[in-house]
Amino acid sequence: MAEPMELLCWGGDWDLPSVHTDSLIVLAYAKFSGAKLAVKSIDWTWRTITASVPQLHYEASTVTEPTQILNFLRKQRFNADYELTAKQGADTMAYIALLEEKLRPALLHTFWVDADNYANLTRPWFTSHSPFPLNFFVPGRQASLALSRILLTKAESPLLNITEVEGKIYSEAKECLNLLSHRLGNFHFFFGDTPTSLDAFVFGHIAPLIKAPLPSGQLQKHLNQLDNLCQFCNTILKNYFNASAEKRTDCSPTAIHDPVDANLQKLTQLVNKESNLIEKMDDNLRSSPQHRPHRH
Amino acid sequence: MSLAAEAFVSQIAAAEPWPEKATLYQPLKEDQILLSDSASSLAVQTFLRMCGLPVQVSCCANAEYMSPSGKVPFIHVGNQVVSELGPIVQFIKAKGHSLSDGLDDVQRAEMKAYMELVNNMLLTAELYIQWCDDYTATEISRPRYSSPYSWPLNHILAYQKQWEVRRKMNAIGWSGKNLEQVYEDVSQCCQALSQRLGTQPYFFNKQPTELDALVFGHLFTILTTQLTNDELAEKVKSYTNLLSFCHRIEQTYFKEDKGSRSV
Repeated sequence: MAEPMELLCWGGDWDLPSVHTDSLIVLAYAKFSGAKLAVKSIDWTWRTITASVPQLHYEASTVTEPTQILNFLRKQRFNADYELTAKQGADTMAYIALLEEKLRPALLHTFWVDADNYANLTRPWFTSHSPFPLNFFVPGRQASLALSRILLTKAESPLLNITEVEGKIYSEAKECLNLLSHRLGNFHFFFGDTPTSLDAFVFGHIAPLIKAPLPSGQLQKHLNQLDNLCQFCNTILKNYFNASAEKRTDCSPTAIHDPVDANLQKLTQLVNKESNLIEKMDDNLRSSPQHRPHRH
Repeated sequence: MSLAAEAFVSQIAAAEPWPEKATLYQPLKEDQILLSDSASSLAVQTFLRMCGLPVQVSCCANAEYMSPSGKVPFIHVGNQVVSELGPIVQFIKAKGHSLSDGLDDVQRAEMKAYMELVNNMLLTAELYIQWCDDYTATEISRPRYSSPYSWPLNHILAYQKQWEVRRKMNAIGWSGKNLEQVYEDVSQCCQALSQRLGTQPYFFNKQPTELDALVFGHLFTILTTQLTNDELAEKVKSYTNLLSFCHRIEQTYFKEDKGSRSV
């Protein structure tokens, strides 16, 4: 590969590589499938309002939307779903649809519509991560998009008021979390011992909910009671993201390669020495008359 | 309705047995009903037949406005009105009939996930094709939707509905898709359903559940509805086990109507 693929996404906080669900999904999948991505955060740039995040740049093409990006990565032969059976692939699609329909509206509500959370957590965070003068517009725009999405998809004509829809979407989200917990059971990942795209999607949705310090989080409380989902999230963070958290701050990729090369050289020299030594011993043994019978 | 009121209503519902004169309302079958509404209505009818509950189908031009949630179909049972498959399934469960009792928790999770897949992909694709594709909207959807009304109400209602659907597509991110991508999504959804069904008679082996009713409703309607082109039906037809699934359910539950329907 000539140059690494570049991913634009929101920055990280609260122990997460990114606070944005869609960006987290792509980051997690890239880790699972072994794709090397040069991650560029859009914080403090004008892209906070112009770009639709996450966005993958490779050679001349640009791909947006998590599903499209995952398809693109699969075509580039970074496939974390290689070992799934056809039925498991179908299950993946179904569970992703479940997450989108049932969990996402409640997540949007928790972070963007709930007055307490929005005023004390979400708006300050996004304001502090956007450049002047965009910091006045970015959070408001996201909040109104979130509200309109919830109302258009969940509010049926008599329930045009957001407060009436709230009860419905939270109960659906809690049910969805329970279903996910049942499905995960005691396993490490949803399909056996290796993570797949479904794990990336679930991680992307629940990680912000677990880690964000929400002032009023009834959904967060419910999720904290589901131990296996919290365990799942922490396992992924520990195994796939902690080790690279330091490397992400290192901007030059060549600095990482040099110690590897030096180690390889040392190892090669040691092996050569060993093999020379063994050859000498072998010669000595062959020429010694006493030990000849033992060699058979 | 708030959650407390819903719980109260289902308590009352549980007390009464299924009446003789339960009615299902949908828009006019010949002239007015569109693909997506027809699919939802057929899904509910199939579910009721699977439960063995008799219901009369009544076609009214203003069914959409009579419905408590604005969506068709809805059923009128005793003195309650319930619309859409999800609430109807819960209502019937409160009355003591359920198709998914034999499933364990993991299977129930799967069933709900697949029902969401159908709603998310198939239903949204149907809505997109009907209202966001200009050719279909002009030739079929708008004339049909507004056929019972006189000018100028027919124009106003048709454009209002189209605007509403387009707003929704915008909010969920489907407005950037073109028709080819939508057909591709339908194909993927059918592939997932086909792989899940495999060679079994129903999705959860021997017993039909609400998932079977929902899938049958959508697939059968796609196969038997005339649109501007046959591409949608072709996508479904390429999966033979789904075709035989539709046949089987039609034969089992809609025997007496066999004269009027054909795949």
